[in-house]
Amino acid sequence: MWWYIGKRLLQTIPVILGATFIIWALVFLRPGDPILGLFGDKPASPAVKAAIEHQYHLDENFFVQWLYFLKGIFTFDLGDDFRGQAISTQLQNAFPVTVTLALMALVFEAIFGVVLGTIAGLRRNGWFDSTMLVATLIMLAIPIFVIGFVFQLFFGVKLGWAAVTVGGDWTVSKLILPAVVLGIVDLAYTLRLTRTSVAENLSADHVRTARAKGLSPGLVVRNHVLRNSLIPVTTHLGVNVGGLMAGAVITEGIFNVPGVGNLAFRSIQQGQSTTVVSVVTVMVLVYVLMSLLVDLLYAVLDPRIRYA
Amino acid sequence: MSETPLLELRDLHVGFRNEKKKMIPAVAGASLTVYPGQTVAIVGESGSGKSTTAHAIIDLLPGTGKVTGGEILFEGKPIKSGDRKSILALRGSSIGLVPQDPMSNLNPLWRVGSQIKEALVANGVAKGKAADQRVVELLEEAGLPDAERRARQYPHEFSGGMRQRALIAMGLAARPKLLIADEPTSALDVTVQKQILDHLDKLTDQLGFAVLLITHDLGLAAERADHLVVMYHGQIVESGPAREILRDPAHPYTKRLVSKAPSLASQRLSSAKARAEVREQAMQTAGEIVSELQDADEHFGEVPNDVIVAENLTKIFKLRGAKPWQSVDFVAVDDVSFRLRRGTTTAVVGESGSGKSTLARMVLDLLPPTSGTVKFDGVDIRSLKGKEQLQLRRQMQPVFQNPYASLDPLYTIYESIAEPLRTHDIGDGKQREARIRELLEKVSLPTSVMKRFPAELSGGQRQRVAIARALALEPEVVICDEAVSALDVLVQAQILELLNDLQAELGLSYLFITHDLAVVRQIADDVLVMQNGKVVEAASVSKVFDDPQEAYTRKLLDAIPGAGIEMAV
Amino acid sequence: MPETTTSPTRPRPGQERFVAAIEETPLQAIDAVDVGEVPENQWREAWKRLRRQPLFWISAVIIFVLAVVIAFPGLFTNADPQFKQLSDSFAPARDGHPFGFTQQGGDVWARTLYGARASVAVGVLTTVLVAVIGIITGAVAGFYGGWVDTILSRLSDIFFSIPLLLASIVVISVINNVKPDRGFWLSVIVIVLALALFAWPQITRQMRGAVLEVKNLEFVDAATAIGATRFKNLTRHIVPNALAPVIVTATISLGVFIVAEAALSFLGLGLPSNVVSWGNDLSDAQNQVRSGQHLVVMWVPATALAITVLGFILLGEAVREALDPKGRKA
Repeated sequence: MWWYIGKRLLQTIPVILGATFIIWALVFLRPGDPILGLFGDKPASPAVKAAIEHQYHLDENFFVQWLYFLKGIFTFDLGDDFRGQAISTQLQNAFPVTVTLALMALVFEAIFGVVLGTIAGLRRNGWFDSTMLVATLIMLAIPIFVIGFVFQLFFGVKLGWAAVTVGGDWTVSKLILPAVVLGIVDLAYTLRLTRTSVAENLSADHVRTARAKGLSPGLVVRNHVLRNSLIPVTTHLGVNVGGLMAGAVITEGIFNVPGVGNLAFRSIQQGQSTTVVSVVTVMVLVYVLMSLLVDLLYAVLDPRIRYA
Repeated sequence: MSETPLLELRDLHVGFRNEKKKMIPAVAGASLTVYPGQTVAIVGESGSGKSTTAHAIIDLLPGTGKVTGGEILFEGKPIKSGDRKSILALRGSSIGLVPQDPMSNLNPLWRVGSQIKEALVANGVAKGKAADQRVVELLEEAGLPDAERRARQYPHEFSGGMRQRALIAMGLAARPKLLIADEPTSALDVTVQKQILDHLDKLTDQLGFAVLLITHDLGLAAERADHLVVMYHGQIVESGPAREILRDPAHPYTKRLVSKAPSLASQRLSSAKARAEVREQAMQTAGEIVSELQDADEHFGEVPNDVIVAENLTKIFKLRGAKPWQSVDFVAVDDVSFRLRRGTTTAVVGESGSGKSTLARMVLDLLPPTSGTVKFDGVDIRSLKGKEQLQLRRQMQPVFQNPYASLDPLYTIYESIAEPLRTHDIGDGKQREARIRELLEKVSLPTSVMKRFPAELSGGQRQRVAIARALALEPEVVICDEAVSALDVLVQAQILELLNDLQAELGLSYLFITHDLAVVRQIADDVLVMQNGKVVEAASVSKVFDDPQEAYTRKLLDAIPGAGIEMAV
Repeated sequence: MPETTTSPTRPRPGQERFVAAIEETPLQAIDAVDVGEVPENQWREAWKRLRRQPLFWISAVIIFVLAVVIAFPGLFTNADPQFKQLSDSFAPARDGHPFGFTQQGGDVWARTLYGARASVAVGVLTTVLVAVIGIITGAVAGFYGGWVDTILSRLSDIFFSIPLLLASIVVISVINNVKPDRGFWLSVIVIVLALALFAWPQITRQMRGAVLEVKNLEFVDAATAIGATRFKNLTRHIVPNALAPVIVTATISLGVFIVAEAALSFLGLGLPSNVVSWGNDLSDAQNQVRSGQHLVVMWVPATALAITVLGFILLGEAVREALDPKGRKA
């Protein structure tokens, strides 16, 4: 077990290094002088320019810059962006919002996906199953920003049940609507995965054996169908936390949530390369961490892995 | 004075709804009676409806299966397939089930003990601590040593035989009056099979429950059951006292089964004289070929008597150890030497894990040996490269075990058999087609199958196609790796006859890999008995069967089901 | 065990010797070939199953209509999608303009019809590119194993860990800086490359798994024993047999890529604003949502987009059902 964890940890190192390097390379391939933008129309004095360049290590070569950046990540000192605002502070402000949003979305999709998917799987090809099939297809087909608009319009503008936008002073209750929107696409996946998994397990040999033992149908489902079916679902949900945070770019845009997605988007448009790289790196870290966690969870849920 | 039967089926009909919503009958009018404490066996090939009958009794038909007619009576009271409550009351406590495949029938996520405990709790036998205690007793009773520790383990820590013991403990947990054993040992090695069935017999005597044994093996059924029911295409064709049926089968199907069951038959398919002729002919043809080839080169005068000579073959696999930097050597084949005489069949017999298939792959040059050599006609096969290697491939062809995987499902039968011809650039389109027709005829398949795809053929038919493909290049040696193991008894007998005829006709030499000693007697001249990668005994067939030298060989022979039954044949 | 009075030689009631009448249980030839059936391989059988599904026909109709709209948008409208007149800003529907006008006075219906081309082009091209890269890398990694596999697998891990949308945003913003003015096809290609760059690992992983499964099957050994080379084995036997699951994923991801393009355009990073596309129109429409007026400028492109995506998702579903290995029982 410990070797398994160790091996998984080792495997994450090249992923983190590689991913940050790719993003870093992409961003710094971008031509244009970021410093010139700071001065607006005024001409910059060469001395000042050189000083600023030195401060941001822009006078070093590409690789050295990357190493500086990596050092920054691990000391959580990401430096300032070109306007002098500390990137760490910006991340610290934005991160909790997005994490809250993603977790709320996760809870939403997990509860509804698993419950509805289980019912659909147990009554495969019944009317409920068919209804859910149509519902999930529609959820998958409508782009998230259209769903966002429709919800905003309907629950926010027309009914007035929820805040139309979130804004700087965010609260959990204001995040409910964006969280539902964020979770809805993945709700469809979760629901279908649960359904397939339950239906498959239902016809497994060991379930028939459990029936033959004389267990009541309820016990059979609880002990032998559900637990086995939920393993792939758990894996999917866990890995998807990272996906949800990345997907927040759009949801946060629509509902004006002051989160990481918004920060990333603004930084891209303003050419704040270091901020962009930092944000994406954090996303990658979240993804890698979650897959690690999921693997460990998998080992807890499935004894076959545990002793492997 | 008559006692009430424990179980009675009266004119049972079961059907499955197909994709077009039509009911396809699987069991048509089955009637049988089981008395308390009795062992009754249903014997049949796959598709005969024997398992369906068993599952219908406890209302566990898979998928769209439904009882469409007839009656099931348990202790005189009818079981209605719709009546969930009363069926639930019967399952476990009155009727237990030991399922077929020990690998898939335990929930991999639960400890073995708790899965048995579940049965105790659900049937109100015991609860809590008492139940835990009982679980250990039950596992011990099922013949599992160190039961206390075993109960806390997970299924994947058990071997197949141990799992089957756990499943028996589970089936007997609530002391049912009837145990349905659905092919309880067909996934296990013969020696394990014997142990488990012997143990089950002992338990039957001790506890007095009745057993409804479902099996494809007539010998096994006759050995274990008092009363025999033979099913064929969903119908019962014959039933009665086991020995009586075996001694004097009346229905033509039963006659067929009795005469073809490998465990009961004891004859080599062709006589010794005929075999000697085959050998001589093979030597002659090989001699002609060699003299043609060696015209310029004079120092190969004679053909070696042995077509394949394997010397000190060893294969070691490196397995991952407990720690990442460690590796464990697993010796799959350990210093094996043998000779395959031209025109004869050498059988390699062993249970799972004996290394017999690894040996076959090394001989076929599909797997490099760790050490040792394989010589074909005196030439080390590993020394051949390019064209020469291709030439070797022509002379040695395999027929594999799994009829579902040995043909590419996307190739027509024509394409499959044409592939070797194409690869070796033999003939043009027309000639190839003529050759394929000829080959199909040789394996007794109508030429109309050429346009078919493997999925449309039965397992036996696919094995015929695989044989035709192997013969396309006119090899000298055919290596059959469990080539008949996955087939039904009658089909198996048919393929064995075919192989035997082909050997006589074409002077082939066979290396025949199998786990089934009964089959060996039908086809082989020499036998190599393998255990844990080593050869434990090597001798002629008659010697091995009549005068086995090693304990392990005797154990294997002893485990052939039905071996002890006296036959009328 | 109750003692019985019946002697062992006399069978008990219900267990007398029984032999079925031969007329009722006719003996059949052992393992005879059923000559009546028509030959079918896996793909033809899949096609037969596909045709039986209503889902498939719904998707076929959607995709057919879509194809007609893309090929001949002029059949459905006479208006010019690029023509804008500020005096028509949010003007209601009138003859020849069934859904009225956008804020800048463009014809909503015409823009939606012409916008289909960009969306579908991105979806189809990205899918093809991702499938080609994924199938090749996956097959090579799975078949050859060793260090090739290690490198390809780690590489796919790396690209897989970066969120698709975010990564493509970065790529496109970089290219926007280099070359802000791009024609239709160049813009499409940029998006296709940006999406494909981070989307291939999914197919690679799937293909690798499928190849690993197929390569140990016996027919591959049989081909080797015949003398087929490794490469021939890979291309003739292994890859064709490993394709089914990849085709399903690719079909479904077509819809996903169309949505991704719309999302990028919505963020202002997709196709340039002079290109008529659903994403751009939806991006323009977002102001109307907050005010809740003139919503038709959102509904029309949004519905078109949703129906298109639905068409491809349904197709993927139908194909999955048709290729389902459980349905492909032997």
